[in-house]
Amino acid sequence: MSAHAAPSTADLVARWRDEPAPLLPLLHALHDRDGFLSEDALRAVSQALRIPLADLFGTVTFYHHFSREPGGLNKPRICTGNVCCLHGGNELLAALKSQGATAMPCAGRCDEPVPVLRGHEQLVGTSATSLAAKPTPLPAPNPGGCEECIFESIREPGRATLEGYRRTGGYEALSKAVREMTPTQLLALVTESKLAGRGGAGFPTGVKWQAVADAPGQPKSIVCNADEGEPGCFKDRAIMDYDPHALLEGMALAGFATGAPRGFIYLRYEYPETFRILERAIAEAEKAGLLGVNILGGVFNFTIHLRRGAGAYICGEEGSLLNSLEGKHPFPRNKPPFPVTHGFENLPTAVNNVETLASVPPIVRKGAAWYRGLGRNAHAGTKLISLSGDIQHPGNYEVPIGLPLKTLLHDWAGGPQTGRTIQAVTMAGLSGGFLAGDALDCTLDEPSIRGKGSFLGAGGIIVFDDSRDMVAAAHAAMEFFAHESCGKCFPCRIGTQRLTERLNGEAGPSDLAAWTQEVRDIGTVMRATSACGLGMAAPFVTDSLLKFFPEQVDNYVVSKEPNNR
Amino acid sequence: MSATATERELTMTLDGEAVGFRAGETIYQVAQRTKKSIPTLCYDERLEAFGACRLCVVEVDGVKAPVASCTTKATAGMVVRTDSPIIEKYRKTLLELVVSENREVDVSPLRGFASQEFTTLVDRYGARTGRFKGRQSGTSNKTDDNPFILRDYDLCISCYRCVRVCAEQEGDYAITMMNRGFGTQITTEFNGRLKDSACTFCGQCVQTCPTGALADKKALRAADLPGEIAKTRTICPYCGVGCSVDLLTKGDRLIGVQPAMDGPANQGALCIKGQFAFDFVQHDDRLKKPLVRQPDGSFKETEWDEALDLAAAGFRRSLKEHGRRSIYGIASGRAPHEAAYSMQKFIRAGFGTHYIDNCSRA
Repeated sequence: MSAHAAPSTADLVARWRDEPAPLLPLLHALHDRDGFLSEDALRAVSQALRIPLADLFGTVTFYHHFSREPGGLNKPRICTGNVCCLHGGNELLAALKSQGATAMPCAGRCDEPVPVLRGHEQLVGTSATSLAAKPTPLPAPNPGGCEECIFESIREPGRATLEGYRRTGGYEALSKAVREMTPTQLLALVTESKLAGRGGAGFPTGVKWQAVADAPGQPKSIVCNADEGEPGCFKDRAIMDYDPHALLEGMALAGFATGAPRGFIYLRYEYPETFRILERAIAEAEKAGLLGVNILGGVFNFTIHLRRGAGAYICGEEGSLLNSLEGKHPFPRNKPPFPVTHGFENLPTAVNNVETLASVPPIVRKGAAWYRGLGRNAHAGTKLISLSGDIQHPGNYEVPIGLPLKTLLHDWAGGPQTGRTIQAVTMAGLSGGFLAGDALDCTLDEPSIRGKGSFLGAGGIIVFDDSRDMVAAAHAAMEFFAHESCGKCFPCRIGTQRLTERLNGEAGPSDLAAWTQEVRDIGTVMRATSACGLGMAAPFVTDSLLKFFPEQVDNYVVSKEPNNR
Repeated sequence: MSATATERELTMTLDGEAVGFRAGETIYQVAQRTKKSIPTLCYDERLEAFGACRLCVVEVDGVKAPVASCTTKATAGMVVRTDSPIIEKYRKTLLELVVSENREVDVSPLRGFASQEFTTLVDRYGARTGRFKGRQSGTSNKTDDNPFILRDYDLCISCYRCVRVCAEQEGDYAITMMNRGFGTQITTEFNGRLKDSACTFCGQCVQTCPTGALADKKALRAADLPGEIAKTRTICPYCGVGCSVDLLTKGDRLIGVQPAMDGPANQGALCIKGQFAFDFVQHDDRLKKPLVRQPDGSFKETEWDEALDLAAAGFRRSLKEHGRRSIYGIASGRAPHEAAYSMQKFIRAGFGTHYIDNCSRA
């Protein structure tokens, strides 16, 4: 315990009130100080930031990790996500119940389950006695011997420090851009590289930056989406923990290209150690004149603000993220207008994923042609894949786009455990639903996977071997989407709930034809009419379940038997 | 001039017909103007379009998924279908889902102005199929003891019209949404009682609620009274704003007040007095004759001639003993123009003072 007196509410308000995007850091400061958010604290915040108290209360209750009960911050929260419930997450939750433990959705540690959040720490372990704070697993050397873009130097010792980063070309790209290039040249280079959004949407990065550069209004912003909430995705965490300066440099380059003087990193709540690593890296870069005013002695200014989410998958959706950053209720925004013209505080904003931004420095150093050449079958570049579940070597892999899925599963990651076969994999974390059978003969690129009825998305792949009940897996997935539905649009709010109930027997017809019709009708209306990607994607789970595992569905609906083999 | 020219230039195709529109109009607004009947539940034309209920989705040529017509701006050359069989099927499924989350569909029209919207749509689409059974959303607040607003959230469909009307129209920001997803609950700060919140009991949340989840407790007192509900358009008698209202009556009994959504001064808004303070009209304690205070402090009923003579004598005495500055007139805000004019004439010409005011200024 610190000997210093706890800061007063007035001190904390004074610290944050005049900063950009002040609500989340101020709430966190009070939450950290008191261990929960008291009524007094919320009244003070409401007054200081001029947010109506009812709005503020509603917004606070939206986030999973803001506790409104004394002592809440220090109670353990156990991951019971899709992967962790294959590895004892529910049993660990039961074992820690006496300490006030509660469940949390996927916390992005699927390569080394089960994560537990307590206070300011993330612990991992599969039993109450084995819980320990451990660093994020370092990506293994590329098993295919493929040339990498993002992971090329990530395994160098000390890479997370400024000195370590500079040993292997760090900040050379920024230096080159600021000293030798115009923003127009940088934009052209990024466009030529065919780099596209690695958060899952795949929008061409150069086109997005060009739109921000062309849009009227200042100050523009670069917002790094580090919310990584998709279950089965933990790639951004590896980048930020082992190569934080690559992200900072990528953001600065984005700022230079678009004319944005400020950047925000919106980091998910569940990565407390990552927060500290990024905080240190930003301070180091500022001290070295690589961020801030007159970067590298020139006229370019760029400041990065680190902001921490509070537990909401939907805040990975860019409209929700921007609302959250602005201190508003984190509902998605109606589009158009898009963030490139009306983003943070209604000004032009580039919202980019961590992986996308971290790809930019190597592209600037080595050229657009080099990056394009990293892919296979005419696909440009690489993609990080987070692989987890029933696989011998879970972890993050940087694959050439176009690599056969089976090469990754069997040759790179060792295949299933001995004596088991792979029954199914998820795509896009959970959002792409399941692939199984012949559909596993695909390559890791959007056209191929879309051809199988799914999508690559953010690149999370969870493996289920033949011992797993796929209806139970689908239920866990749908329960996640129901838990994370924001509640704004009707099809998603009601649909995710009804599908969850139908997958665990809580409600729904017992007649197979009627059950299937209801599930299909809900899926159809969600996909067609939902307001954002969450509701549009969630039915991939049920559709692929019906497509690949009709016999397991029959067995579950008709005889109510678990599908454990 | 140029606006008219623009108006003529911009056309789109709506269900096969060419329609002109103004820049900035949404597809829904254009459709409304051309008398299309696109269903909605979260829409209130006074509020910023929200895009929650998704019932207003339409097909647009060249766009893969249907778009919400309330939040999508019309563009020149756009080809839109508002009622294709597939769109109508989505709407029916959506309505079946909404029916499944509520305790009941049919509610008394006394609950509020918009309270029949949901049940009307459910019948239009034949959505009482009993499909999609499951848990209900929203929990009624049975402990809030305020005399005006029933908080029957078992009927809530999370359209957020109450939250938005409170913020955008009334500026009170008293209502909020707690939690998220299916667990969303409409409530106030700290999930407390309305009277401990920023609520001013203007009743606008009640009148915009499409399911009757927020309901007019005072009007509901007459639910069991025999007779049809009649509506009479008039002007609120309280202050000088002149809000249009519909008085609800059964027989000769005044049972409630609803704001006129097309009232030029109020556009559906009222305050607590105009909305809820009508009991005096038929109250047993209402004065029907003037009272004169007796030397012992008690009051005696009298006739107007005697009362007015007494009042005139009192004015004369004050004027004589204390001068013209001892007289001060305050006209009632409920007085019509002519009466207010007579009042100031009476004070100015009658007593030679400009000490005259109106209670509406307070």
